[in-house]
Amino acid sequence: MKSLIEVDCCSLSVPVFQPNDRQLMTNPLQFIADLYLSRTQRGVVNLLDDISLKLEPGERLGVIGANGAGKSTLLRLLAGIYAPTLGVLRTRGVVKGLFDISLGMNPEATGLENVYIRGLQMGYRLNEIRTMIPEILEFSELEEAIERPLNTFSTGMRLRLAVAVSTMKAPDVLLLDEWIGTGDSSFRDKLRERMHNFVDESGGLVIASHDAPLMRTLCTQGVVLEAGRIVFQGDLEESLDFYQQKVVKGKRSVGARLL
Amino acid sequence: MIGPVWVLVGPTLFILTLGLLFGEVSNSSSDVFIPHLTIGLITWTLISGFVTGSTTVFQRNRAQIMHGGMSLLNIAAVDVIRTIIHFLHQIIIVIVVFVIYDLNVALNALVALIGLMVLVINGVWLTLFFGMVGARYRDLSEIVTAVMRIAFLATPIIWLPAERGAGGIMGAFLTYNPFYHYLDIVRAPLLGHVVTLMSVQVVGGITITGIVVTYLFYRRLHFRVPLWV
Repeated sequence: MKSLIEVDCCSLSVPVFQPNDRQLMTNPLQFIADLYLSRTQRGVVNLLDDISLKLEPGERLGVIGANGAGKSTLLRLLAGIYAPTLGVLRTRGVVKGLFDISLGMNPEATGLENVYIRGLQMGYRLNEIRTMIPEILEFSELEEAIERPLNTFSTGMRLRLAVAVSTMKAPDVLLLDEWIGTGDSSFRDKLRERMHNFVDESGGLVIASHDAPLMRTLCTQGVVLEAGRIVFQGDLEESLDFYQQKVVKGKRSVGARLL
Repeated sequence: MIGPVWVLVGPTLFILTLGLLFGEVSNSSSDVFIPHLTIGLITWTLISGFVTGSTTVFQRNRAQIMHGGMSLLNIAAVDVIRTIIHFLHQIIIVIVVFVIYDLNVALNALVALIGLMVLVINGVWLTLFFGMVGARYRDLSEIVTAVMRIAFLATPIIWLPAERGAGGIMGAFLTYNPFYHYLDIVRAPLLGHVVTLMSVQVVGGITITGIVVTYLFYRRLHFRVPLWV
């Protein structure tokens, strides 16, 4: 079977902007120069450096790393938002990120209208959304409130609606930046079950998280990122161990320096 | 409940006030000036909606871009369609004016529909092009807003050109003002005038150049927009 995702030596380098670079009037010709001439003049930061990884069908990859290590950037690269500056990214099937489950919801519109807005944004067709509505209502328990503006919903109700719409149809590869799981205790169990089912139905998963116990229940593989590089790749348990040791060691060396 | 009809209140008041005022100060009769003003103003709303909206389109949709799933072209299309819907509401005012002044719409008024289509095509490339440049250079929206404010006065919307196409001292404001040509491909047919060859040439030239340049820019730059917004 072919891999779902194949990342081959991908790097993402981004030019650093000075505040004045963003004003057209300070240097109108800079725009043309940027396009064709002066790529080398600007400072460049490597957000991702020589990343290679594969996701086979059924695999679930946990991305581990400290804040700023490049976890979200990697997910955005996989989602096709950032294009790699170097290297090749190959994906198969629908790769969908679920980074912001209430994206695009309009507080002025009714709950039902928001189901359509959100559904269309997720790439569903109108008649698909129509067939989904009974199940959305059932899961979110919003049958009575659905005709009211989203403004009048409580935070919990909004979350329920957002989760219900966002998790209707599992993609071939699901990308998650942190797990989705808040809400009151009665809903939390239901949400957990829903999210786990959603992950099970997806062909593959890539999740970035700081939650080690959660990753143990979800993931099979692990990858440890540090400053945009992959420093360890393998079994999830080994990856967590590697990260743990590195963090502990790192802290100790900082302590030693302080002494 | 008047709901969406609220978007008609502003332009209606504008046309009424200016119509009355200019009826007092100038000797042009109101049945020439009011239709001229109405079509001009409402077409201008469409044009300036495209132009001023374009520079910030990708900043406004940052969340959408950073989530993936929608291409820049889709995002631009949403903005263009919103402007068109707004414009379609305002067409009611034009119809009312035509009824009040008992203006005949000849068959060649259908040319105005072609003109509108050309405007929309221009709206698309413009939104993409200025959207990309505006994402990179944040002062572009300020520049464009300032230009559009002057362009509104320099274009014959609230004043009548002395002779159509090339009139007196105002001649240069017509010949070298692309907005005039864009406006006239819609307005002239509706008022029973002929669209000048010059307008067709200017509009056609800008449209084709715009599409080509935008295509080249898009190919080269579209993947950088997420880094800029």
